[in-house]
This record gives sequence, structure tokens and C-alpha cells, in this order.
Amino acid sequence: MLSLIEKIVFLLLAVGSTGLAWKNFGKMFKAIGRGSRPIQWKETIRNWPKGLAVFLGQQTLFKTRPIVGGIHAIVAWGFSFYIAVNIIDVLYGFIPGFHFFHEQWIGKLYRIFVDLFSIFVIIGVKYFVARRFISNDPKLKTNDPVLVSEAARTGMKKDSFIVGMFILMHIGFRFVGASFEIAGHGPDPFQPGANLLAWLWQSFDPVTIIYMEHVCWWLALGLILAFIPYFPYSKHAHLFMGPLNYMAREERRSPAVLESIDFEDDDIEQFGSSRLEHLTQSQILDAYACIMCSRCQDACPAYSTGKELSPSAIEINKRYYLNEHLNDFSIGKELDDPITKWMLTEEAAWSCTTCGFCVEVCPVGNEPMVDILRIRQDLVMMESRFPEDAMDAFNKMENYGNPWGLSPQEREAWMEGLNVPLMREKKTADVLYWAGCSGAYDNRGKDISRAVSQILDKAGVDYACLGNEEICTGDSARRIGNEYLFQMMAMQNIEKFEEYGIKKIVTQCPHCLTTLKHDYAELGIELDVVHHSQYINDLVKEGKISPQPSVTEDVTYHDACYLGRHNGEYDAPRELIQSVLSEGKLIEMERNKESGFCCGAGGGNMWYEINTGDRINHERFKEAANTKASTVATACNFCNIMMEDGLKVTGHEDNMVVKDVAELVLEGLNEKQINHSS
Amino acid sequence: MKIGVLIKQVPGAESALPINDNETGIQEDQASFLMNESDSYALEEAQKIIESRGNGEVVAISLGPDRVQKIIREALAKGADRGIHLQTDAKGLADPLTLAKQFAKALESEQFDLIFSGLQSDDSGMGQTGIILGELLNMSTASLVVGTELSENTLKVKRELEAGWSQWVTLTLPASISIQSGLNQPRYPSLKGIMGAKKKELKILSESEFYIDGKKQSIQKVFVPKTNKKTEMIEGEPDTIVARLVDVLKNEVKVL
Repeated sequence: MLSLIEKIVFLLLAVGSTGLAWKNFGKMFKAIGRGSRPIQWKETIRNWPKGLAVFLGQQTLFKTRPIVGGIHAIVAWGFSFYIAVNIIDVLYGFIPGFHFFHEQWIGKLYRIFVDLFSIFVIIGVKYFVARRFISNDPKLKTNDPVLVSEAARTGMKKDSFIVGMFILMHIGFRFVGASFEIAGHGPDPFQPGANLLAWLWQSFDPVTIIYMEHVCWWLALGLILAFIPYFPYSKHAHLFMGPLNYMAREERRSPAVLESIDFEDDDIEQFGSSRLEHLTQSQILDAYACIMCSRCQDACPAYSTGKELSPSAIEINKRYYLNEHLNDFSIGKELDDPITKWMLTEEAAWSCTTCGFCVEVCPVGNEPMVDILRIRQDLVMMESRFPEDAMDAFNKMENYGNPWGLSPQEREAWMEGLNVPLMREKKTADVLYWAGCSGAYDNRGKDISRAVSQILDKAGVDYACLGNEEICTGDSARRIGNEYLFQMMAMQNIEKFEEYGIKKIVTQCPHCLTTLKHDYAELGIELDVVHHSQYINDLVKEGKISPQPSVTEDVTYHDACYLGRHNGEYDAPRELIQSVLSEGKLIEMERNKESGFCCGAGGGNMWYEINTGDRINHERFKEAANTKASTVATACNFCNIMMEDGLKVTGHEDNMVVKDVAELVLEGLNEKQINHSS
Repeated sequence: MKIGVLIKQVPGAESALPINDNETGIQEDQASFLMNESDSYALEEAQKIIESRGNGEVVAISLGPDRVQKIIREALAKGADRGIHLQTDAKGLADPLTLAKQFAKALESEQFDLIFSGLQSDDSGMGQTGIILGELLNMSTASLVVGTELSENTLKVKRELEAGWSQWVTLTLPASISIQSGLNQPRYPSLKGIMGAKKKELKILSESEFYIDGKKQSIQKVFVPKTNKKTEMIEGEPDTIVARLVDVLKNEVKVL
């Protein structure tokens, strides 16, 4: 179809375009390479099935916004299909008389597909362009007081426009070109859309039709050559970088558990991230994978209550900062701007509850929460700059072994009147029951500890507590960024575990669970740690206890982030609730399980206040109240404290209660005794 | 500018305080020891002065058994330049005069421009050591300081008085002042500070180098005050009431 001159021009342009793209991609990967903690590329390549599955399956899009996800899948599949179409079109241009199996069924199928897909993609992209530029969907905006850099504000609009126009023009002109071909060569029943369009050109003379076919070919394929070098700068790079991000992602034991730091290593000069190059390679890659859909922002409890944090703003600011400084950064120049000046504010970093929702919903596998955890490490360990109340918590942990700052000799106060076995007397037991600081010092926490130990007693479990020998696991210290203090606390506990040969631990605190199970494993001690809801649920299943259905009113269950998203346990607490329901029902809140909304206390936020915006726990409690259930069941002492506060503030003291699942089970067990005695 | 800061290790306010068997003090192994609260403000104030001047040193000084080195290291981690430990295993609380004499003997050669101490210790609460030390070393002194302004040869201090009043006093250097909690925000040591503290000088003086004979006080008995809530309603004729009241005041309350 093409003339010789056209072929030569096309080949020259193709070489130039690929060369430029190669150079730009090179810069991009050099920029990624400047990060700390090298990506294991061999491992990454070996993970290709993961990347392919994400790319083809599109399943990560459907965790939230299923309709938008569906349209995206059509666009994505259509676009991938177009890579094959483009190759065939180039061959059509270069080989005279080339047609892709024109008369065979495969060729017919192909033409139908291209035709319909073109229409689908054009409609899909128009929808997305309209959504971004006309409808002003709040899901695509970032509200004050979040820091969004100037470069990001203008760049985002520009990029969306360019990418949208590119797809529309590329596919549009290909479609129009097909219609001119039909106008020139006669109708094709296997391209119904193009046939319809060709009807418009029936009055055109043959020369114009050939001329127009060439123009369309060049617009459709030439545009690709123009777009390829721009590709790494655009968010469209997510097409490759998204799946690659899944392949390169660091394996974590739990979403908020980072690798431990070796403080004996004198070569480490920087702890945590203060500048761009302090971020890990996989975190820099995150910025290139981000498509700026802001699903994470929707999910974020800090953002939805009006705080300075938006996880997507982190990635977007990072991406445009990279774009702006790519030439300098990729050749190794030092960029002095601290992250907290252009990526997210310090207050934003402190606003994160480490609930992990942003990581859970991200369709391209980004981990903005990990950026925050690393920034906190820098702020705490290098700069000594953090909320005043967090310092108070640190001092209390150091001085008294618990963030409450209460006497270490008061740890056993909750046991009063119960016959709780102690490790120091018993020396050995099958299971260590770890009440945790909240279970030992908070009044409601004590109730829960008492319930758990009574259940263990009734089930005849051989257990014991460390009592006054227990100290804080160091969860809050680690999440706030004080790795040094965390390790100090952890080492003391690990010593105790070794002294008593402890292997199995039951705890009612999902934060203790995560820390003992995953964070301590990073320090080299593997413990079999289970949550009390899991352990008690097993006791019920094994028939060791049989709580009677005693709950007559509806119950709603608030998922603890550190039990759910961080440890994947959604069922055990729900099954326990089911086991004690008689007339009442378990009613789910709007946001539940993987989409559960944080109580606001995680990530150390239990110990300091962020005064910007609304209280996260109040928002969550309102959601619980909307279910009209009379009991809010929790499976975490922090959640319990936050929900009880929410209950009081929202004025539901008279018609609602907050109870731990263990308390509900104990009521069911006590019910049985009453029945027996009557 | 050289500032010495006296820091004391005391049982924390939330610590358990069981009395030891011979009733001379507490069972130390049960207590959580930490830096006396007002001393940490004194340390912060000294560091702020040196930092704003850009030169000089802060020396953290503590007297007691080896465990007090923990708070000296803490001070070094927070940025004090060096530490001095007056090592003694003496049990029981010495009187402020004897303590001040011991500090004077140990520290005279340091020629401090300023000595800061916390207003009083959270355990014995004497509130005099720093001031007597100043007198012994011929320094100007002021207590209850809630603000400082240092000029070339003088230190202007804001002292807290009763009922919300305060006064400004100008002291000529050298001076020893005792500092009230709350005048600044004590810092948290950075990791660099913690790591660096291990390399900083901590001079240990053995008791023979500062021992002063002649303790003016000894502990007879340490006990937990008994709270006794007993209410007796005295009823009857005025004469019987008066007789009973006099009896209570004379024999039970012992004020007559």
C-alpha cells in the first residue's frame, strides 16, 4: 500500500522513535536504580506469570469500583489486542496486497474483533476523558490540605489529556482508515462498524479515498512513533510498569512489616528515607506504576476525614518530581530537597494509621504506606522530630515497659480474683497467653483479658501468662519509626521466650500478634502466634467449649486492620459471633473485611492526636450505628477503646454496646451454666 | 562557655516503691529508675544555650551507683558533650550539704561558667544541692528558674514566685541555678546521638576522689504513709463533747 518513500520515512521514524524511547526508558531505570535496597531482577523476571496474570486478568481492578474496573479491562484488553493489530497494519502498509487471512475464519474473526473493539475502546476512552475533564469526579481530585506539587497539578491534567487524545486518535484513525478501505474495495460484512462509517464516503472519488486511507494509516501508526518516546514520562507507562511492579514487589510477612535494621553495622549512615534516593528501588518504581486513579485516596481513613494525607498524592508527587529531575537524578546528581517538602508533609506522615487499605486496593501493587513508614524512621531516628505525645509514649515504653506509662508491677492487676497461671511459677505450658499492655492496663482491655483467661480455663487449656515479666512488644515504636526502641523491647521479650522455651502464643491484640509473629521473625525468632479469635474458634470447632446462642439482638463486627488486612483473618471472629447468636443477626457494615475502615488507633496513632480534620473513630462508629445493630463486636483492644469513644461521642450510650468477641463467647458459656443449674 | 548539669537518677513516678527489709529505702530491683524530671529540663536548657551560642560544652554529672551511668549516657545521647560519674555505693540519702561538698570537691577544677540543676529531686525532694554547691564554689545562685537570658558576663533569669508572680534577676557569672520543669521541651535522642554517645567521654571518679566526711543526716526509717480514714461523731451533752474533744486532741492527735 505504501509508496517507497513512505516506507523509508516510516522506517527512519521508527528507528528514531525507538532510539529515543530506549534512551528515556534507560533514564527511568537508572532513576529506579538509584534507590536503596536493590530490586532482585532475576527473581523479578522469574515472577513473570504474576505480571502476566495481572495484565491479562485485570483482577486487581475489581477490588473497588467494579464498573470503572470493567471499562478499564475493555480498554486494556482492546489496547493489548491493538499491539497485534498495529503489527498487522504495518505489514499491510509494507507488503502489497497483504491481508490477514482474509478469506479464512480466523481473518474474519479478527476483523470483527478489531471493529467491535475499536468501538468499545473509543467509547471507553471517551468515558474516561469525560470523567476526568467534564464531570469533575471528586474521586479524581485531591482536596486541601493535602500537598500536591505544582508540577503534579499541571502535569496530571496534561498527561491525561495527551494519553486520552492519543488513544482516541490512534484507534479512531485506524477505524476511519478501515472504513476508507471498505469505501475503496467494497463492503466487508465482518467489519460492521467500519461498513456503516464507509457509507459516509460513498460519494468520494477513488483518488481521495486512497489518499484518505494513507492519511489515516499515518495518523494511526505515526502517532505511535510519536508517542513511544513520551511513553516513559506519561502515566501510560503503567501498562508495563504496573505488571513489572507486581513482579518486583518485595515479599513482606505482613503489609506493614519492614526488614529489620542492623544497628551494629557502622556503614549505615542513613536510617529511613529523607530524600528521593533513600527510598527503595521498588518504591521509586511505584511512582512509574501509578496510574493516578486515587483508589487508595478513597480508601484512606486519614484522607476521608480531612487530614493532610493522601496516599495517591505521595505517588503522584513522586512521579512528577522524578519527571522534573529525571536528567539530573538518573546521572547520579544529589537532590537535596527533603521528601517532606515535595512528597508529603510531616503531618501527613504522622496521620497514617498504617491500616494498609491503600496497599490493599492499589491495582498496580503500590505500597504508599511503606514510604510513610520509611519517612517516619528518618524523622524519628535521624531528625528526632515527631509528635510530642509520641515522645511521651517512647519514654514510657523505655522507662516502664509499656506506652501507658503505668507501673510494670501492675501488669497482673487484671488477674485479681482469677486463678491465672504464671510462667514464673509454672515454668512451662503449652500456650503462652499474651494479654499485652492494653489487656493489662486499659480498663476494658482488662475485662477482655479476664474473659479470655476464663474461656481458656473452661476449655482446659494448659496455658500461662508472663504477667509482670511481659513488656510491650514494641509495635507502636516500630510503626512510629523508632526501630531502635522496638529492637530494645523485642530483645527483652525474646530473652523471656527463650528462657521459658515458648513456642506458641495466643493474644487478643492484633498489634501484638503482628509484631510477635512477623516483626520478631525479622529479628530471627519464629513463633507460632495466633489471635484469640482464631484460637477460641478452634476450641469451639473441636468441641472443647460450646457457647450457647445467647445474643438476641443484632451484632455488627468491626474488622481490626491488623487482624484482617495485615493477617488475613476475617472469618474466625465472624464465626464466633455466629456461634452465640440466637435471634440476632450479624449485620455487615458498608466497609468490611478487605475493605474494612480503620478505627484510627493503628500505626502509633493511639498515642498522639492529629488535630486536622475529623476523628476517624467517630466516622467509623457512625457507620456501625447505621447498621442499627445494638452490639458492635471488636477483636482488638485498640478498636474497642476507639469504638467506645465513638459510641459516647455520637450519643449511643443508651442503645448500643461495644464488646470483644471473647466477651460474647464468655456470655454464651456462662449462659450454658445457668441453663444447667436451672 | 562551659555548663555543668547535675542530673539525678530517681525512681519513676509510676514505679512500684516497695520498702526494703531493713526499712532504710526501697527495694531497688523492683523500681524503674529514670532521669529526674526537672533535671531533664535543666539539661535541655543548657543544651539550648550552647547551641544558640554555637560554642561551648555541656557536661552531665551524676552521683550514685553504677546504674546512674544510664542517665549520663542518655544525656550524652541527647547531645551533652561529656559525662562525669561520681561513683558511690553509699546507700541511703546523704544531706544536701554533704552532697554539695562532694560535688564541689569533684568539680572545682572544671571551672564551670554555669551549673544547672533541677529544682528538686523527685525522690528526696531537698531542693538545695545545686544552690549550696554554687555557694561553695563562690558562684551567684538563683532557684526556681523558669527562663534564662544569657549575655556576655551575666545571666538574667526569670524566677517563679508564689501566686503566679515571677521576678527577673540578673546574676553575674559564674552562676549556679536550679531549674523548674516546663520551661522548654526536652528532646528525644536521635539514633545518631545514641550511637555517638558510646564514643563520648564518661569520666568515672571513685569515691576516694570526692569523699567528704561528716554526714549530717541518716535515715531512721522509710515507710509508706498510712492513710487512715476514721470518722468519729462525738455526741451527747456539751460537757461530754468537750471532754471527748480535749481527750482526742491531747492523746490521739497530740496537738494539745
